[in-house]
Amino acid sequence: MRDIIKNEWYYLIRNRVLQIVSIGFIFILSLAVYLGEIQSDNQRKQYDVSKKQLRDSWESLDSISPHGAAHYGTYVFKPTNLLSSLDEGINSVAGNVLRVEGHVQNEIVYSESSQMQAVSKFGKLKSSLLLQYVLPLFLLFLAFNSVSSEKQSGRLKLLVLQGERPVKLIMGKVISVWLYGIILMIATVVVHFILNFSTFSTEMAGRLLFFCLSYGMYYFIVSGLTVYFSARWKNATVALTSMLGIWILWTIFLPSIVLSTVDNWHKLPSRNTFQTAMKEDRSKGIDGHNPKDERGEKLKEETLKKYGVDSLIQLPINFDGIRMQADEEYGNKVWDKHFGGLRSVLEKQKKCYQIAGTISPFIALQNTSMGFSGTDNFHHQEFLIQVEDYRRRFIKSLNDEHAFGGSKTGDWSWYAQNDFFKSIPDYEYYSQSLSTVLPNYFLDFIVLIAWTTIVGLLLFFGIKNMRIV
Amino acid sequence: MIEVDNVVKTFKGVSAVENLTLQVETGEIMGLLGSNGAGKSTTINMLLGFIEPDSGVVKVNGLNAFSQSSQTRKTIGYIPENVNLYPYLTGAENLNYFCRLAGLKYSKDELNRFLLMCGLQNDVHGKKVSNYSKGMRQKVGIAIAYAKKAKVYLLDEPASGLDPLASNELSELLKKLAGEGAAILMASHDIFRVREVCDRIGILRQGRLVKEIQGKDVSANELEKLYLKFMNNQE
Repeated sequence: MRDIIKNEWYYLIRNRVLQIVSIGFIFILSLAVYLGEIQSDNQRKQYDVSKKQLRDSWESLDSISPHGAAHYGTYVFKPTNLLSSLDEGINSVAGNVLRVEGHVQNEIVYSESSQMQAVSKFGKLKSSLLLQYVLPLFLLFLAFNSVSSEKQSGRLKLLVLQGERPVKLIMGKVISVWLYGIILMIATVVVHFILNFSTFSTEMAGRLLFFCLSYGMYYFIVSGLTVYFSARWKNATVALTSMLGIWILWTIFLPSIVLSTVDNWHKLPSRNTFQTAMKEDRSKGIDGHNPKDERGEKLKEETLKKYGVDSLIQLPINFDGIRMQADEEYGNKVWDKHFGGLRSVLEKQKKCYQIAGTISPFIALQNTSMGFSGTDNFHHQEFLIQVEDYRRRFIKSLNDEHAFGGSKTGDWSWYAQNDFFKSIPDYEYYSQSLSTVLPNYFLDFIVLIAWTTIVGLLLFFGIKNMRIV
Repeated sequence: MIEVDNVVKTFKGVSAVENLTLQVETGEIMGLLGSNGAGKSTTINMLLGFIEPDSGVVKVNGLNAFSQSSQTRKTIGYIPENVNLYPYLTGAENLNYFCRLAGLKYSKDELNRFLLMCGLQNDVHGKKVSNYSKGMRQKVGIAIAYAKKAKVYLLDEPASGLDPLASNELSELLKKLAGEGAAILMASHDIFRVREVCDRIGILRQGRLVKEIQGKDVSANELEKLYLKFMNNQE
């Protein structure tokens, strides 16, 4: 087998056109990673500057009521993900900035696509585009003629006469084409590693390992199936056409068909419907700013009872803060209900999309690639949850200060001290650990393993009785 | 030694080989003459173990060529009309690769010696096969069989497209191999080359061996007349 692989590599190495194409490919892949890294770096720097400015202005707050500060609010920036230069996933369309304030859970805004006309129109050079679409296509062109040319030239007869089993010859060809893809992918990963050397961690290494494993399996599936067709069909053109058809089906038609179908099966509410429903539910709660609100009245009675007093004026605390916090908590429940519903639909959609990997391994690859890069919807949703969690703690601190900081009910002119604002921690993103992330892509991984096994078996048993003449 | 005993082979109802019986002893060269579709290549493919006969027995060195093909192939050297080697490898590298596939590991000197023995001069051993003529490629093909220590050589139209000098060199090489004890079966259209090289000549028509002659008993002209006579005979 080693001799067969070595011989195939002589062809790849000694062919001038392939040499140029390979160097060009490595250059473009490296460039894509580099550009992705520059973009991530710029984004990171911009966010750091903005974050610092926002924090400085927050920490310089003085002579303002805590509730005024809740309306003043702050902004949270979505951090660039671990391997976003390898696969930026939904980052360019999902938005990056989220305003955090009292009473309302804002939507994330300012996606890259919405701000760059060229990007929204033509897309951009992304390593994921090259690794998922172009490189497999290139492997396909390398492999489609690998066995049929041996057959047509009569060389296969000579090779088999030397005592070599056809299965071994064909596996040697599959492995050499596969290795070619692996080397180009590794080159990309190495560039990523060099550019991120200073921040490289075991977490990143783990994610990279699974990222590479997923691509490795997908490249084997593409190379193996192409070589199989090359061995089975008499004509190389038929082998190429068959595999191109499969490639188009896998990468273009099936993902779109599956997406539309899944969208129909598990419908997400429109933005307008979602917001209207949230607004309606929210209106049923306590109105934090309306002292005559019915539910507010009930809360008042409970609070008076708790403190053993008859009127708000006798309370040692500021009831406005308690009412506003109760309003917040009700709003949180409403958000949990609607956002939870949204997440449950998204979860169902994700499951269906994962199962669709059984008909297109490309879908499974896309899922794992974005997943291990930390740029998929799961990571995005986790970010939104973390931000909401932060918002709740942030607003609660302000409401608690309003309630228990020393002011009395109705005293809206009471101001918190600057030290208090300084004591409220800034938002800190906690990236998902690999062990948390892994179960989410278990199904995709299994699907890729199953496809790899099927192609391996197809090569082993399907080639056994291949006609030599 | 080659033995074909009463072999029949049909493809989709069309007879390719019909009750064919022939034998090639060690040290002997037998030529099979016949027009296209006479059954020459089918016979060779049956000897190579790639096609199973419908009936009859095909043996190479006493072993069934189809059911024991993994063993018989080890002793067979096959030279097709076009020896298509890997154009990006040199002659020596091609020989080395094919030898390694057969589980044989030779030193560079040994490989060069095989090529030289098969008539390929030293100065071209290191050149890429894409620069070789057809005759040179055929010599590498024979060197592959020779390095394998083949006892049986099957040649399918080996002289087709060769210039007279290369063709003559091939004849000499085949005689040399037979002299070393190889059994050689050569299928060809080339009456003159077959007459010159072969000890025994068989004429195949529509899958039947219609005539068998000793090479030394006929001149090239007589053989041509005989061949034409059998080819024109519709009986």
